[in-house]
Amino acid sequence: MLRTLIVTLLLSLSLPFTTAVQADDANVVVIANPAIAQTSIPLETLRAVFAMRQRSLAGGQALHVFVLDDDAPLHETFSKRILGVYPHQLRLAWERAVFSGTGQAPNQVASEAAMIDAVASTPGGIGYARQFNVTDRIRVLAVD
Amino acid sequence: MVFATAGAIVADTARAQDSDDRGTLQLHGFMSQALVVTDRNAFFGSSDDGLGSLEYTEIGLNASMRLGDRFLVAGQALSRVAGNYGDAWEPTLDYGIVDYQALTSEALVLGVQVGRFKNPFGFYNQTRDVPSTRPGVLLPQSIYYDRSRSLGMASDGVSLYGERHLANGTLYWQGGIGVPQIGEDAEISLSARRPDLDAKLSTVGQLLYAHDGGRINAALSTARVRADYRSRVTPSSEGEFLFQPVIVSLQYNAERWSVTSEYEYQTRELSGFGDSRANRSTDGESFYVQYQYRFNSRWQWLLRYDYTLSDRRDRNGRLYAATGQGPSYSRFAKDATTGLQWQINPHWSLQAEWHYVDGTAWLPRQDNPDDDKTERYWNLLLFQTAYSF
Repeated sequence: MLRTLIVTLLLSLSLPFTTAVQADDANVVVIANPAIAQTSIPLETLRAVFAMRQRSLAGGQALHVFVLDDDAPLHETFSKRILGVYPHQLRLAWERAVFSGTGQAPNQVASEAAMIDAVASTPGGIGYARQFNVTDRIRVLAVD
Repeated sequence: MVFATAGAIVADTARAQDSDDRGTLQLHGFMSQALVVTDRNAFFGSSDDGLGSLEYTEIGLNASMRLGDRFLVAGQALSRVAGNYGDAWEPTLDYGIVDYQALTSEALVLGVQVGRFKNPFGFYNQTRDVPSTRPGVLLPQSIYYDRSRSLGMASDGVSLYGERHLANGTLYWQGGIGVPQIGEDAEISLSARRPDLDAKLSTVGQLLYAHDGGRINAALSTARVRADYRSRVTPSSEGEFLFQPVIVSLQYNAERWSVTSEYEYQTRELSGFGDSRANRSTDGESFYVQYQYRFNSRWQWLLRYDYTLSDRRDRNGRLYAATGQGPSYSRFAKDATTGLQWQINPHWSLQAEWHYVDGTAWLPRQDNPDDDKTERYWNLLLFQTAYSF
């Protein structure tokens, strides 16, 4: 137990701030279940949705937010480049929502493939993926 | 460890249900244990004795579920020990609400919460007992004092909230009316003679602007907490107690660091007493400046200066001491804090924190029954481990 703790301690000290290379080159896009009627979403609305404050879209469709692990390069790229917030800010927003009764946590999935599957099969599903992985099972939402 | 495993199972079950039938039931919780050591004065138990006090434990468990497109039902039970604070281990309903999001357009969200809602007060009040949402082991005690915490915790009533999306920012507001859960902690903190306080309908409101996804946050919070006040020494002496704080909050978030500052101006007023000498109003003020630096996603350093003053007309407490009510240094507290937080994994954290304090304005009377036996200068060292899922 102690040994594991010490090893973890040393490992975490050597951890660089950005844990892995960014999901570079490839464009990251917002993906949604095709049942969602709209094709674009304003940035502030998207921020409210991913901060788990806004639970449905203008049409009344309930949303189901999917995310990857905080340390996943794709999550980091999506947070920073699309939402313009740091993963630690999102994490804090979720904790605050969950522990004050004002919102729920997003659904965490294990991989980009699982993300695409989940969004494709969940009415109201919304998430993110690299552009070249987009298929006609999901819709890309442009961010205004 | 058992708790951790149980927690993981519960969380996994919740997730499994979610993916199976798109049910939205979620269960979350947290647990913390601290070791508190002081050289003088007692904080959360006999911290100045031997190896310190283990009497700071928090356990919370909540459930939430969405009903249809617009409703969210959520509730949290909280059990807590903090030294001789009155309600040791007694589980309380921290919040229990039905939230109806009536309007969700691209530019505007409007909703209402009915039930016991957490008071939106400064940046931290709504999740003040949740270790993973706090910048350190203790929140700045000047504004988020633990010794009379029941004054600001939550209200039973109705709260309206909304947010307006702008070009690169969002304006939030929340206004609530309800009855707070004023407890013995507020009574003993108000006066060593423990007046009887009976909460009345109170109001709370907050306006917050988040710019550029929260890079800059600015907020204004205010409340009018009202209670009937009756002396236990002379029961015929009764009147009304009003607690009216105003808080200005500012925060800047960069990738590696955050700076947060909050200023509070608070008025405590006693009125309606037959003996007019009992009617009085006292204005206090508090502020803190806090710097957090993230070495990486696991390690964080905290530096903070925190100041509080019970009466602006008596900055060094000499007038108070002259009346024989207690020592001058019980009317202010200057706290320099530094701490280190280690996020072992997404669920576990470990932190250590050192406070050097001049004054006892927020020192719990519950742990130090005799004001005259307290010391002006003291050190407070805290170690805490926390688990959340």
